[in-house]
Amino acid sequence: MVRPTTSRLTRVFGWIADKAIERDEPVSVGVLCQTAVARLDVHGAVLTMDTSGWPEVRDATDALGERLTELQVTVGEGPAVDVWHGDGPALVADLDAPSSQARWPMFAPLAVEAGAAALFALPLCVGAIRVGVLSLHRTETGHLDAAALTDSLAFAELALRLLLDEQAGRDTADSIADDVLSLHHPQVHQATGMVAAQLDVSMADAFAHLRARSFVEQTPLSGLAADVVTRRRRFDRDEERP
Amino acid sequence: MNSERLVETFVELADTLVDDFDVIDFLHMLADRCVELLDVDAAGLLLADQKGRLQLIATSNEQARLLELFQLQNDEGPCLDAFATGARVSHADLANAGQRWPRFTAAATEMGFAAVDAVPMRLRSEVIGALNLFRNQTGELDAGALRTATALVDVATIGLLQHRSINHHQVLTEQLQAALNSRVVIEQAKGLVAERLQVDMDTAFAALRGYTRGHNLKLSRVAHEVIAGTINTTELLSAATKTKPLRR
Repeated sequence: MVRPTTSRLTRVFGWIADKAIERDEPVSVGVLCQTAVARLDVHGAVLTMDTSGWPEVRDATDALGERLTELQVTVGEGPAVDVWHGDGPALVADLDAPSSQARWPMFAPLAVEAGAAALFALPLCVGAIRVGVLSLHRTETGHLDAAALTDSLAFAELALRLLLDEQAGRDTADSIADDVLSLHHPQVHQATGMVAAQLDVSMADAFAHLRARSFVEQTPLSGLAADVVTRRRRFDRDEERP
Repeated sequence: MNSERLVETFVELADTLVDDFDVIDFLHMLADRCVELLDVDAAGLLLADQKGRLQLIATSNEQARLLELFQLQNDEGPCLDAFATGARVSHADLANAGQRWPRFTAAATEMGFAAVDAVPMRLRSEVIGALNLFRNQTGELDAGALRTATALVDVATIGLLQHRSINHHQVLTEQLQAALNSRVVIEQAKGLVAERLQVDMDTAFAALRGYTRGHNLKLSRVAHEVIAGTINTTELLSAATKTKPLRR
């Protein structure tokens, strides 16, 4: 069975790598945002992280993107705010539509006034672990077509991996092909929960510990997770130096 | 089949489809009702993620080996076939399915299953997932059960889209992604509870679900709150002991 999976991720990662070469820069979330604008028929891309409880711009390809983030922080509502607190994306083809204006009565009119017409906010998360939000905006209304929508989700997954790898001080290029994140294994998430309890740390830290251990021991994350879930392995607070 | 119970189920499902409903709760209820109404021994609902990989969203039973059996179907099995072809896939006697799906058959047989059905979840021309039914006895699912299964699958699809479908693709993506991530949150919460209470994953899930029902909350909300620490895991313990283990 052909996996659209890795092939689509690999293709999108190829675009980002090409862009990085063209700009003579290493692959980064900044380059990823530039590539998304070039490939997805959107006018701008913004990557926000939320270290203080509100979205903060990590990378933005244009001033409008920065403005849209600033507006959401100012009025305390908006698609990126919703996405950060919810579980799914917010895909808004027309910010001026009554449904958008009703959903974000303060943000939507201001966003339209600032020149935005459509906004697509995608979560970068692993369950309860929130890493950031990738927002794409347009100055004309309209949905992302089916192919662009699927590609945008691939961009979001790659942004998630880049940020997680960056936090772990690792190179993402190595991990694209073999899907080392193993995010589709339920045991990886169960093990994350167990390690969070064993070390008394957050889900994000527990996941980082698991990934670091898997990297150091050169074992697949799914195998290590299976050992944790079946209680063949425990994480000990004294052994773990973050 | 008990037709009164069937009617009750559809009323119950329709009642769930109101504002502010939880997709995960809804699909879990649906999986439970499949077991009850279709006289099957286990049921699971799988949805395809944006990468075309089948992910388990809800099941009548959270036994780890059963979860693996669903997951295995990304490589081979009735759900993968139903998803790829858009047609129902049935095998009335798994003893003869070894050639078709060697790994799946071995794992299913080891769990005591003798027959399997997979019904695709369709939205217009698109297949978005599948309902998987397992039985301990060999034989075909009877025609009435099959019609009911198809109707339940259609209700599940409608539930996923809720009632605000203007552009189905966007809404479907929003709902699907949210459902997939909620499922991950639940797995993380299961792990946390299993370790804190020193119980297995089944019991951890039963505790989460028991608390959800007892407090009239949503499962994904309870999972989030357990992780955030706003629901104390020891409170779950009483829920765990009160909850009867689900069938099979």
